[in-house]
Amino acid sequence: MKRRDFFKYGLGSAGVAVSGGIGGGISEVRSVSDASYFQHPWWVREIEKPKLGIDDSVYSRFEARKNVFGSMAKYYGLDNLRELSRRSREKTKKYYQENRPGYRLEDRALADAAWVISRQGGLNRGTRSWTRNFVRTPEERGVDKYKASPFQAAHLIKTAARYFGAATTGVTVLDRRHIHSEERGKKIVFEKVEEPYEDDTKLVIPKKCKYAIAMTVLMPIDNIACSPTAISSAGSSMGYSRCEFLVSGLAEFIRGLGYTAIPSVNDLGSSVAVAVDAGLGELGRTNRLISPEYGPMVRLCKVLTDLPMTVDRPIDFGLMEFCKVCKRCAEACPSGCVSYEDEPSYEVKGEWNNPGHKAWFEDSPKCLAYWEESTSGCSNCIAVCPWTKKDKTVIHEMVKAASAKIPALDAFFDSMDKSFGYGRQKSAEKWWKTNHFEYGIDTTQGKG
Amino acid sequence: MEKDNSYWILKIRKRPFYIWIFRFLWVVWLVFWAEVALGSKAELEPKAFVISMVIFFVSLLIGLVLWLLRIKRFKE
Repeated sequence: MKRRDFFKYGLGSAGVAVSGGIGGGISEVRSVSDASYFQHPWWVREIEKPKLGIDDSVYSRFEARKNVFGSMAKYYGLDNLRELSRRSREKTKKYYQENRPGYRLEDRALADAAWVISRQGGLNRGTRSWTRNFVRTPEERGVDKYKASPFQAAHLIKTAARYFGAATTGVTVLDRRHIHSEERGKKIVFEKVEEPYEDDTKLVIPKKCKYAIAMTVLMPIDNIACSPTAISSAGSSMGYSRCEFLVSGLAEFIRGLGYTAIPSVNDLGSSVAVAVDAGLGELGRTNRLISPEYGPMVRLCKVLTDLPMTVDRPIDFGLMEFCKVCKRCAEACPSGCVSYEDEPSYEVKGEWNNPGHKAWFEDSPKCLAYWEESTSGCSNCIAVCPWTKKDKTVIHEMVKAASAKIPALDAFFDSMDKSFGYGRQKSAEKWWKTNHFEYGIDTTQGKG
Repeated sequence: MEKDNSYWILKIRKRPFYIWIFRFLWVVWLVFWAEVALGSKAELEPKAFVISMVIFFVSLLIGLVLWLLRIKRFKE
């Protein structure tokens, strides 16, 4: 039963149960009306399949070594890359001598330090281990494993995910094509086994892990708004560190319930594809997820599990139509890696893209080269996106709702967004003088 | 009210019903832009804050001028 159907029929039957004095229905009513249960805003529509389609005859599992981080030397040329690194080191020193805001020692130290938790894990390593760390299993406690309806289980997991730092959480049946075919020089395979394991040649995911829990983690908007500086870089790394805490905590929680859990951030498979399937957002012009609540200001992570849960549907909030007319990310991209094409297509830009799905494909080596060129990475496309907004005034919610329902207004909203000064680079110097929220994020955002 | 030698002329001007709709919309408009201005300040968006404040004060001023003109007309 889909979530919406549950509301439709579940509430009705629960109402009958309550009126008939049957206690069993009451707990379901309570769980449905519980404010902790995450729902998208009213202007977000659930759909059967993601809006940007998949060509089933082409789409297949991606080799992780083809991604831009793994093969930059191949795509960019080793000599070019060496020259780029040399220039980057020189610039770093120059900016330091100039005492340039956003590139000072304290800015760079902050950016590096914010990675600290993220660096504790990797594919089946450290905090992202595929097996139990320390949590006690139901067996060890001498009790049965957690038993509940799929709806209650999904609710439980979403509440726990929120507790561990997820901004939004969705559940989907895992499309195995989203999982990398190889990583770290080892094949990733699905086998009929009880527990995941790794040997010298392969990483094995149990076939019973049919569900993927996709989660977004909000990045600090005030950091990213300083892009491209080390302060914005610190925003990205903070996002990754919080992802690390989230997936490791949630995986341990699931294991504590007596089920298998495989935590993952950018490793193992495409978090974007899983998140789109789980209804956390749509694929935008940057070929990344745009969430209706937070825009692209999110990092993504996922946990694979065998805990049966009610699944969510993909969503449509008019983003594709908006991206067609907006192009702010493409205009703000200093490397020119973001597509200017009016329509998304199946044509990839290079080996770093996984073919077989419709998108605005990006020229990733250009992007990564600029990260080196700028000496501190870049998040311009995230910072300028009109969907990147805080929620301190009602106008943003009104505009998002109107854009979702009346695409003809998209160009007007885009130009108004520019006129009101949104997306302009913020001062890294002022960032140090601002009284920020903990972790730089307002955790009340998106909670209505 | 004018005084003639022989009789009084009473001019009765009734406010049209829609004036209350205009007044209500004006107040909503002002509250909306005040909220946007305060929200933009909280969001650390200086340009959005200034533009919304300008819209708020210009709307307030236009509304007050129109209101005073109408009062003056009523008093004539």
